[in-house]
Amino acid sequence: MSPITDENNAAVRTAGVWKIFHQEAEEVRAVQDVSLTVERGEFTALAGPSGSGKTTLLNLIGGLTRPTRGQVWVAGREVSEMSNRELAQLRLEQVGFVFQAYNLLPVLTALENAEFPMLLQGVAAAERRARVQELFARTGMEGLEDRRPGKLSGGQQQRLAVVRAVASRPALVLADEPTANLDSHSSEALLDVMAELNWDLGVTFVFATHDARVMERSRRLVRMVDGHIDSDETRA
Amino acid sequence: MHARVLVVLAMRNLRRHLRRTLLTASAMIIGGGLLMFSLTFGDGSHEQWIDSGVRLGTGHVTVERPEFRVRRRIDDRLPAEVRRAVEEAFASPEIAPYVVATSSKLSINGLASSAAGARPAQIMAVDPVAESAFGMLDERVAEGRYLEPDDRLAAYVGAEMVESLELRLGSRLVVQAQDAEGEIAGQLLRVVGTFRSGVPEVDRALIHIPLTTAGEWLGSKQDVTNVGVLLDGSAATGRVADRLERVLADPVARGEARVMRWREADPALAAAVAIDDFGNYLIQAFLFTIIAFGIVNTVLMSVMHRHREFGVLQALGLTPGQTGAVVLIEGFTLTAVSGFLGVGLGLLGTWYFLGDGLDLTAMMENMDEMTFSGVAVDPVIVPLFTARRIVQVLVFILFVGAMASIYPALRASRIDVTEAMKFDR
Repeated sequence: MSPITDENNAAVRTAGVWKIFHQEAEEVRAVQDVSLTVERGEFTALAGPSGSGKTTLLNLIGGLTRPTRGQVWVAGREVSEMSNRELAQLRLEQVGFVFQAYNLLPVLTALENAEFPMLLQGVAAAERRARVQELFARTGMEGLEDRRPGKLSGGQQQRLAVVRAVASRPALVLADEPTANLDSHSSEALLDVMAELNWDLGVTFVFATHDARVMERSRRLVRMVDGHIDSDETRA
Repeated sequence: MHARVLVVLAMRNLRRHLRRTLLTASAMIIGGGLLMFSLTFGDGSHEQWIDSGVRLGTGHVTVERPEFRVRRRIDDRLPAEVRRAVEEAFASPEIAPYVVATSSKLSINGLASSAAGARPAQIMAVDPVAESAFGMLDERVAEGRYLEPDDRLAAYVGAEMVESLELRLGSRLVVQAQDAEGEIAGQLLRVVGTFRSGVPEVDRALIHIPLTTAGEWLGSKQDVTNVGVLLDGSAATGRVADRLERVLADPVARGEARVMRWREADPALAAAVAIDDFGNYLIQAFLFTIIAFGIVNTVLMSVMHRHREFGVLQALGLTPGQTGAVVLIEGFTLTAVSGFLGVGLGLLGTWYFLGDGLDLTAMMENMDEMTFSGVAVDPVIVPLFTARRIVQVLVFILFVGAMASIYPALRASRIDVTEAMKFDR
């Protein structure tokens, strides 16, 4: 239960967010005073060099870690003070993740991986199957339903990860370097898929990336340097 | 819905590292089998000790006066109405199904003498027919025969006493004891048989004589000091004793009778069983501690190996508790399945010995008899199966499995999700 809600009802809003890590005696300010709003349906890239804080910001937005200071709202709900259980519920219902290393569950088939978040949500079997079939058709994954992740190519695995992230109809999808392990052809294909899902279904995407292709395709580019926002550029 | 997903994940993970799962399961199966095997044989041998002890003594349950056990005097005879009540209770539907035999005895201390000397004796006056069904001394004849219903001045004497008093079959001996009037009375008897029980203390002192002879000699008529019952297994002892205590509530309250379970009547035997059980439990605890470490190792290795995977599960919406539950289910399932198989294997292995028992005679090569805590030990051990023991073993194995899975489960539930996602093998 989150007592504080965001009136704006943006997909994501952060206000003066800090994340400070302590490594031995050293204090690392991974995210410094970041205030950012991502509206529903945006296709936004957080860009910046390694260590600029984009992945940490993504983790803060996704409720995988808590801010040291400041507030984060996801789909209108303030997440900073949520319990572990509430955070888990938030991730389940509102956030889809796509990771650089795919992070599919190796013991499940492609179909089961795609259905997994919906299974946790308690979505009925027929509904699950219908959503996944549709997304498999859109992403060119048809016929691969019964394969385990180990039997899929890198591009296929990442497309499956996108299907998994989108199928449960979250408020936003957070993608951390989704193209980093893919060749250029697979990267383009994946970006096509995500752009289409964004355009057709209105899925909100926030990427952390330093891949120029992703930056080019995004409609909003937020550049980060040393943990804070350096520039925020929206394209037509 | 979540529970089903957690179970599916746990099962798939067990299957994923099949070799590791099978190796751990094998250890559990063998451990469970050995545990079942050793416990059924342990229980079987204890039941034999108890059977041997209660047959030589006063039964699984005996009723006597409270002072009898200390004084063993003729004054400690049971009142006739108490004896009658006990015998009626033995025949009642609540107790009768458990009864193998009953025996009423007059047991007193006295002196046995012959031309060669005198020895302290435990004189036990019995009904020869009832005692044949109850005791085991009639099967341990060294020479001659056991008492018969028509015998009057007959004595069935322990072999060591026969030797020490330089008696033979047909020899006369005199027994002396305090009679019902408080006077010392003697009785001339003739040796009709001798026995070797295997227990030196018994062979050195015990003399069986007919109850009718004792009644005339001591003026005690048909009075007895103990009424004992032999049951179809020691497990029924408590039930029968409790029932008797209810039936005899008034005489017990008046101090005229006491119901004794074999553990109270023969504390040395009870201690021997308890000590042997403790030793067995200790060895099994060591065995299962080693097995538990094996399970901890397997499950923990699996957790370490899947660090990133647990991070993904939590990122996808599982709570830390549910992540730990996946590991707990894995460990518990592994233990439960292998525990059941192990118990099955143990039972199967033991089944083979159910008919003829496990003959350890070869290990007693240079011994005529083996006694332990005043009980003759049979070298042939017949295993004893009880539902209670099987359930105990299963519960114990499941407990070990659950305990061994807790630490890995905690590790899985306490991961830092962001760190886990960085984790690279």
